[in-house]
Amino acid sequence: MDSKFFKLLLLGGAVRFYFCRTPLAPMIGNRVEFATPLNSHKRMQEGIFLLQSGIDPYLGDLVHESPLILSALSGLFQKYPQFLPIFYIILDICTAALLYAMSLRFVKQKQDQQDKERKEYAKDTEELQFGPLDKLDIPELVIVAYLFSPLTVMSCIGMTSTVISNLFLAFFFYCLVKGMLIPCLLVLAFETVRSFYPIVLIAPLLLVFSRNSVRRGVAIAALFIVSCLIVAVANYFVLNSWNFLDGTLGFIFYFRDLQPNIGLFWYFFTEMFEHFRTMFLITFQLNATVLYLVPLSIKLRKEPLLLATVLVALMAVFRAYPSLGDVGFYLALLPLWKRCWKFMAHGFVVFTFFLVTLSMMGALWHLWIYAGSANANFYFGATLAFSTGQIFLITDLLFAHVKREFCLFNGQKILIDGEEARIVLK
Amino acid sequence: NLGRDDERFHEELVVRPLSGDHVNTYFQFTTRWHYGEKDNLYHTQLTPRVIAELLQQFAVKELHIGLTQGLWRYETWGYPIVEATSGAEMWAWFSGANLTNRDVDRQWKELANVFSGVLCASLNFVDNTNSIAPRHLIRPQFMPANGQRFVRYATLPREIVCTENLTPWKKLLPCGSASGFASLLNSGHVHNTKYHSLGLKVRVLCEDHDEDNCIVELTQTANLVYDLRLFELSNNDFSLRRLFGMGLNGYCELAESSKIYVQRNELGERYQLVPEPVHEVKTTRGGHSVVYSVYDMHEQFKEAGERLFNVAWLAPKSANRRRNLAKPSLPPVTVHRYLLGHGQERGRIVTEVTNSHYDALPIMLQEVIPWYVHAYLHTLSIRRKPQRVNEYGGQRLTFKLLHYTPGKQRELPSHLEIGFMLPGQTSALISIDVDYLLLKWLEYPPDANHGHYIGSAIVSSQLPMGRNYTALPPEGHLFEHSFNATRPSYVLSLHTEALIVSLPTPDFSMPYNVICLACTVVALAFGPIHSVATKMIIVGRQTSAPKNFVKKIFNQLFRRGKATDETAAEGEGLPAAGAAATGVASGRAAISPGSPSGDQPLLEDLDEEEEEEQD
Repeated sequence: MDSKFFKLLLLGGAVRFYFCRTPLAPMIGNRVEFATPLNSHKRMQEGIFLLQSGIDPYLGDLVHESPLILSALSGLFQKYPQFLPIFYIILDICTAALLYAMSLRFVKQKQDQQDKERKEYAKDTEELQFGPLDKLDIPELVIVAYLFSPLTVMSCIGMTSTVISNLFLAFFFYCLVKGMLIPCLLVLAFETVRSFYPIVLIAPLLLVFSRNSVRRGVAIAALFIVSCLIVAVANYFVLNSWNFLDGTLGFIFYFRDLQPNIGLFWYFFTEMFEHFRTMFLITFQLNATVLYLVPLSIKLRKEPLLLATVLVALMAVFRAYPSLGDVGFYLALLPLWKRCWKFMAHGFVVFTFFLVTLSMMGALWHLWIYAGSANANFYFGATLAFSTGQIFLITDLLFAHVKREFCLFNGQKILIDGEEARIVLK
Repeated sequence: NLGRDDERFHEELVVRPLSGDHVNTYFQFTTRWHYGEKDNLYHTQLTPRVIAELLQQFAVKELHIGLTQGLWRYETWGYPIVEATSGAEMWAWFSGANLTNRDVDRQWKELANVFSGVLCASLNFVDNTNSIAPRHLIRPQFMPANGQRFVRYATLPREIVCTENLTPWKKLLPCGSASGFASLLNSGHVHNTKYHSLGLKVRVLCEDHDEDNCIVELTQTANLVYDLRLFELSNNDFSLRRLFGMGLNGYCELAESSKIYVQRNELGERYQLVPEPVHEVKTTRGGHSVVYSVYDMHEQFKEAGERLFNVAWLAPKSANRRRNLAKPSLPPVTVHRYLLGHGQERGRIVTEVTNSHYDALPIMLQEVIPWYVHAYLHTLSIRRKPQRVNEYGGQRLTFKLLHYTPGKQRELPSHLEIGFMLPGQTSALISIDVDYLLLKWLEYPPDANHGHYIGSAIVSSQLPMGRNYTALPPEGHLFEHSFNATRPSYVLSLHTEALIVSLPTPDFSMPYNVICLACTVVALAFGPIHSVATKMIIVGRQTSAPKNFVKKIFNQLFRRGKATDETAAEGEGLPAAGAAATGVASGRAAISPGSPSGDQPLLEDLDEEEEEEQD
């Protein structure tokens, strides 16, 4: 660790500390783009209050945080509420530190892999390879992209529990790159029991740890199931009740709360005919989980970290209750693929989509809910365009990676009859 | 005291002038039947058959239904004789051997359906989403201390009370609307009032541990408040004929007693009654005295002959203006409720309770928050202020009693009961933060922008004195049983205003558009991702299409000539390709021998067009 790293951590903490003392913080905590039924600070407070009052928080459908987290944080929430912003800032800084450590390790692994394959590379591909400077540049870009992204800053000052989710995911990535199996399994099991969608990350975990052995893969999968059961039983003992399963996983699957957010579910299921609701629920939940898992796992079996990154990004787009904190997390992973950026053709389009739709969401929400001069379609249009922009980004990254892998071994310029050839998919 | 198989019916009408040129008329019809054991319920005389069948079908001990239009003004009118809330209100106490919560929920729903037919009201909408099991308030009046408590309570604040409710309500009476006091209740006049409330109360009173010696008591009430200024009179005189459109044509022949009580003190003091009343009653209750004049219809109609009985209230003309300006004294406890915040996203429900008495009073508050509004219990707070100060400061009261059941969307409402001591001459502000939900598009009522209702809260207290208190004691069943009914304390129950919230609404014309657009965005991900995952990268020739027809023809001729060269080039290329294949240690076949010829199909239409021509 060098001093620049610590300076960036301190600066990121200072930015968050400054903003959490402005009127922006409670406003962000109520924005539907950041606070969903799953991660809202108000609902966390309500859950802890009900837990301390001896009322089962999952009898209602207001609380959807896991019992272990409610129980672990109840002391802090009840006795020291003035330190809550500091607590969330510390969690966010830990996330950034984990991402930094993960990036260092990742770049080193990539450079080692390159050293073995260098003689197979084409001659004009130096700019596609990880250079010596990348060992410092890429981790620095990752930590800057996380600490100073407006999405993660506002998610932190809004005190959403996405900060906790991002910490667990960063720890998962760190253990994945470090090759630590048991912590990786436990944190993935915890996050799966808590919010369902991270179960797809079992695929990169298996690719990393099974080492092409089927028996070992089966053993790891069994270990994952056992870890999930252990976490579920640990949650059970907080309240001696299984109600939390319906309050967390059941709530996510059945999409009971139609509160608007940046995803695709909310208006679709508001306008859904009741007769078809179950079918489309299953279809949309498949789309958010396993629909892309098998083809991407096969295609990216040699790149488990890119697989994990893409799966986290697809989660942020297609999960039932996404928030901008989820988007900020996977955007911070993009510098890992810095060497693919040459082939990303839609950067400007995606940036424009993000800028326009994120600006319009606040305005259109106000016009719909407060001014009364717009209606739900306006806000739906903005969320639709935002999801489209994210999809462009993800598909662009995938295609860029495939092109880079091809060009590394075949060169960037291929001549046919003296003319430069075009690279197409077939 | 009553003999077996006795069935008695009583008619009562109470007329009370109220402040602000209002008149309260209260009708009470009481049927009491000592039926003994359950099998005797098959033989009804005065009691309606539906009530008897009710006791056979359901384990109901006490049933209260209220259908009310309008709002009772506590500050100016005092307390009503029978408390009710706007819309429809229903609560019941179930008791029986081997009852479970599931049984009670099922019976409760069936009971509501029965009375939706009996009273022609929308009580069939009573279900689990708007019913609660009260814990501390709404105690049945004869609940045993140790007995199991199966009480259910529901309100439908949206219900509008009109002719279709009054007519079946009158049909439950032994004389119907043909004769007796019920003949005064005509729709044209009843629904022209400021406030009208129809009530129905059924109680089953059994000797302790003896279910074979029981009394069923049916009490039907009609509470009306008239605004005399609507009568366009030059003074404040009024009469029965003026209020109801006709006088009394007699009394119900089946009635044991038919009496009219007219309050003569306080605001009734200034009126002169015509005809002169024969009887007067002075009653003292909790240190507070009320004087009633009594007209006994049995005496009035003792002589034969067709005539209409009328009572007129004559106000002295000279004193009109001065007396009208006299301010009424505030009742001990008043309540209000309102909604804070703006927009369709969130707000705050605020209930204000004021204690005008000099001493502290215990206050119980019950709120039912429907499922489409999220309530946050951790934001519940009680602030206080002296009564005469306008602003609430930071002073807070603590609640000594708290019962909360969180609500569930489309299943259960939130249920909150709190108890606290309210100091004398103090106001308390009970507030809780709420969020408004977006519903599915088919869950909105036909007029979605009208808003959604939150039923009124109930505030209960125990008064140490009887001022403004007119309710019947629990053991009484006639209005005259409230005379001289002094008790250590008087249980008071008040209802606040109902609230109306604006929920955010979707565009109701958009289901197909939304489904198509959302699926299109999903397809934008599905297509490219599966394309990248399942296809291989190949190298194609870089070609450009001719711009116009002439160039196209020229290019075709040129290309035909070039074809010969391509064949030669292909032949020449074979050794080079072989050499390249030998050199590539990885064995990748990305550059296929066929590529140089440019035979692979390209993505652009014009290129494909050329290729087809070649083929």
